[in-house]
Amino acid sequence: MAKAVKTVSTVVSKVEDLGNDTKRFTLVDQDDWELPPFRPGAHIDVHLGQGLVRTYSLCNEPDDDRRYVIAVKREREGRGGSNFLHDRVEVGQPISVSLPRGGIALDQEGTNIFLAGGIGVTPFISAIRHLERRGRSNYVLHWTSRGRPVLTDMIAPAIEAGRVRLYDTNAQAKPVIAAIFEEFAGSGLAACCGPAAMLKTFGDAVSAWPDERKHIEMFTPPKVIARSDVPPYELYLSASNKLATVTPDVGLLGTLDALGVDVPVSCGGGICGACRTRWTEGPPIHRDRVLSPAERQNELIVCVGDCAGQRLVLDL
Amino acid sequence: MDAIAIDQPEVTMSWQGVVRFLHKTPRAFLPMRSFPSLELVAGRGIEGDRYFVGHEAGFYSHKPEEGRQVTLFEMETFEALQRDHKIELLPEEHRRNVTVEGVPLNHLVGRRFRLGEAIVEATRLSTPCRHIEEILGKSVFDPLINRSGLNCKIIAGGTLRVGDAVRPI
Ligand code: FES
Repeated sequence: MAKAVKTVSTVVSKVEDLGNDTKRFTLVDQDDWELPPFRPGAHIDVHLGQGLVRTYSLCNEPDDDRRYVIAVKREREGRGGSNFLHDRVEVGQPISVSLPRGGIALDQEGTNIFLAGGIGVTPFISAIRHLERRGRSNYVLHWTSRGRPVLTDMIAPAIEAGRVRLYDTNAQAKPVIAAIFEEFAGSGLAACCGPAAMLKTFGDAVSAWPDERKHIEMFTPPKVIARSDVPPYELYLSASNKLATVTPDVGLLGTLDALGVDVPVSCGGGICGACRTRWTEGPPIHRDRVLSPAERQNELIVCVGDCAGQRLVLDL
Repeated sequence: MDAIAIDQPEVTMSWQGVVRFLHKTPRAFLPMRSFPSLELVAGRGIEGDRYFVGHEAGFYSHKPEEGRQVTLFEMETFEALQRDHKIELLPEEHRRNVTVEGVPLNHLVGRRFRLGEAIVEATRLSTPCRHIEEILGKSVFDPLINRSGLNCKIIAGGTLRVGDAVRPI
């Protein structure tokens, strides 16, 4: 049986070497169809094959809806994702990506104060392009880089208009982060993306700000569909002799998936019955709207199911 | 299945509906795009759609189903969602191909009817899919249970246009 489609298929339409160890990749649909929508500053998982998955912020804006643009700095000591993209990915190559997630909830009225370190600027490039496209100038970007910054071509009007403050830390002092945010203590949105030290200083500078007025860019894991609130339990598959632990963040269905078990899933929400599975040890927690009380004695709808005890045994 | 098709139930249905929107998309997860007309091909599906037989690239394509050649959705459901759940669902968001008005979809399972110049046979009611919430960022799964549209196979093909009539045979 063919595998279920779980990612968006794209093709690399452009690779640009921007210098400073950074490459920009443009991903499009093979027929130039619109891609799934996203919010300003959202991110996607890029599937590079053999289990190599890396998350990157989109640099383009939501209205630019037929491409995903990512910028990748080579991390020589990194875990291989950026090197793979730099060395192995070429124009014309197919690449699977996740649906976009996250994004910045921009302040409509007040000032959006963005603080970026190096390549951490990517979500703010997206946000600035989004605001500029709407004729809005209620933002300021403070952006540090070591040497010449890249991606400036994507926000040229903003730079020209003086809404971007650049700090080349090879040649000048770093910005005083506390001072930047002090001025806006009463209103606006503070957002930061950069190295750990910068995030820490930023966190201290806005520690008194309410949560809804600050955004620290961190990649969020994909939303777990049937989020479970039960403690971890052991899962044993009696027919295939496989054992695993089900944790709340992965869930029963996610664990089955990780074990490579092909359970037929259709609605994923406990109403169609496609994923019904026999159980022999439990007791399971039933959350479906399909099975009768009698059927529940030996069957479980695994897409929304769980275990009330320590060990669940499924006939798979 | 054939028995149902030949032996239509006794009850005569009198209704007349109209096609309001037409949509398709070539691959899973991509937004649906609106078209003034669609080409329905008997036994295969809609030209250029993700479930067109021979070019399957849909979310459910690993589970082929004859009755998914064309899918319908009721215009009236938009009002119901707005009224009962304060949810605004747009025609391009339900991910069915044909949005109709004045057609009792839930009563058509097992029947053949005319869709413009084409003839289709309703195979089963559609079920909503959890991934629609992920795509739309709207909590529509529960509200769409039992009103998620109708799956049909195409008995006789033809061009389907916005404004075409939908009629019992
Ligand atoms: S997939 Fe529909 S009930 Fe589990």
